[in-house]
Amino acid sequence: MDRSSKLSKVYLALVFVILYTPIFYLIFYSFNSGGTMSSFKSFTFEHYKAVFADTRLIMILINTVIVALLSALLSTAIGVIGAIGIIFLKNRKSRNALLSLNNVLVVSPDVIIGASFLILFTMVGVKLGFASVLISHIAFSVPIVVIMVLPKLQEMSSTLIDAALDLGASKRDVLSRVIIPYIKPGIFAGFFLALTYSLDDFAVTFFVTGNGFSTLSVEIYSMARAGITLTINALSGLLFIVTLLLVLGYYFVTNRTKNPLRTGVSK
Amino acid sequence: MKDIIRAVIAILIICTVLFYVNNQLNKSTGRAGSDTISVYNWGEYIDPELIKRFEKETGITVVYETFESNEAMMTKIEQGGTSYDVAMPSEYTIEKMKENDLLIPIDHSKIPNLSNIDPYFLDLPFDPGNEYSIPYFWGTVGIAFNPKLLDGQTFESWEDLWDPSLKQEVILVDGAREVMGMGLNTLGYSLNTKDEHQLQEATDKLKTLSPNIKAILGDEIVETMRRSEAAVALVWSGQAADIMYVNEDIDYAVPKEGSNLWFDNMVIPKTAANVEGAHKFINFMLDPEVAAQNADYVGYSTPNENAIPLMDPEVTADERFYPTKEMRERLEVYKNLGLETLGRYNELFLEFKMDAQ
Repeated sequence: MDRSSKLSKVYLALVFVILYTPIFYLIFYSFNSGGTMSSFKSFTFEHYKAVFADTRLIMILINTVIVALLSALLSTAIGVIGAIGIIFLKNRKSRNALLSLNNVLVVSPDVIIGASFLILFTMVGVKLGFASVLISHIAFSVPIVVIMVLPKLQEMSSTLIDAALDLGASKRDVLSRVIIPYIKPGIFAGFFLALTYSLDDFAVTFFVTGNGFSTLSVEIYSMARAGITLTINALSGLLFIVTLLLVLGYYFVTNRTKNPLRTGVSK
Repeated sequence: MKDIIRAVIAILIICTVLFYVNNQLNKSTGRAGSDTISVYNWGEYIDPELIKRFEKETGITVVYETFESNEAMMTKIEQGGTSYDVAMPSEYTIEKMKENDLLIPIDHSKIPNLSNIDPYFLDLPFDPGNEYSIPYFWGTVGIAFNPKLLDGQTFESWEDLWDPSLKQEVILVDGAREVMGMGLNTLGYSLNTKDEHQLQEATDKLKTLSPNIKAILGDEIVETMRRSEAAVALVWSGQAADIMYVNEDIDYAVPKEGSNLWFDNMVIPKTAANVEGAHKFINFMLDPEVAAQNADYVGYSTPNENAIPLMDPEVTADERFYPTKEMRERLEVYKNLGLETLGRYNELFLEFKMDAQ
């Protein structure tokens, strides 16, 4: 093994250590009976018990997961259709215009999006709650999905579609048997990115929660006012496990396909 | 294509299951009833057991939500789209909410338990006659300090903060009225003063504190003090209680020159859907036994006179958190100074902050 590849491996390992250390540090202290994160006394499950005893917290956790799954699902559907629409636009000018509009939404600050949603919802008369949170999560996830799917579409050679059409495929067949399977890795990547965005979004959600509906990020923020308690650690640990299971599920799904094209799930 | 469909079905099944679990939890907490009220409170500011008890006793379901700043809470209520029945703002926000017509007057005939409240905490300048608000918790502004890090130094006077031995040791809370108030109190002036000369004098006095200042922080103060990373801090008594709960070395003092007396109060916002239920909830929270249990859980001082005998005497005899009548005479509640004077306070505070760097 030559030196440079060894070095790059060490570098990679270091990066992963930095990324994962805070999470494991947090989870480690969720088992601390001491009550603070300053010193480890002894092993205990009491903080996890406290989480499970608090039905309100559990309901908020479930709400968060439902919103994340549903918004990721719907925004993936919308985003994929949008990306296909953009790529097949004949007019180059309007295609670029649409793409720029999409990119503006990706880079615009969450606070602005959240505040404008709050104003919109109250103007239209939508009650703040599940629907308002779901709609706004879908809204900020769609542009991300479009961006994840577009490169795959651009990479796909148009001869593939021509060949399919020559061989007698209908337009529907082209979509379901050629395009979708080809861009599948992009679709899954987009879905998972939308999922994580929804799970940890605070700025937008903060504005549009109400009427007894809240998500974890907003709840943890108001809990933290009284200092970070180890209950929050335990909760974060649980959420980490949930996301881990989701990612494992993703690999399980992609590994079963005959053509294991993989893309990394990045955040 | 097949595995995409499979994934979609899997997600929908998971969501349905989660919805079902949530509904079951809803029912088990008795939330399904038609009579509900929503309560909007600070994070960690009520004993959850009391909500359960209220639901059991009255059959009214409580939808409980939390906020973390007066401003955020007020924005949500002002914008509409929510239907909070009871909220717990601080006194200066109540004045703003009153001005913006966001509150419903409280019907005192429906709150018989109001008689439990110490008259000292009623009829205050921010809400004469308690037309719109009922006291929930109260406290002071003072100095939290760690004698272990300071060789036993104590803080009886605001002047003690100027002690040269405290170089780079003092943390201040990032609030214009708190810090300016400290400056004014040190000089023996009212912390509601509108006198430009006194304000200028206070700012000059504060500037001489600069060498001792370590940082000007928000809620992070609690964590910093708990870890003994700082020796002295200007804090609200609620924060001090939070700090002392974890770090027993810390002590708290309200200086003898006087200080601020703050309140969090229960109000009924304009958006309320169940005004009747809101009154019941407020009345319930004023029950001496309930108030005692709540104060025990939250750790702040209760204004409920009849709750105090039911609490741990060691806590209620603690003059740092339950100052005697004589000590309270030196405390002042913030008055609404009007936009212009408030702007002046902010300006001078900024001037001081820039100087401190």
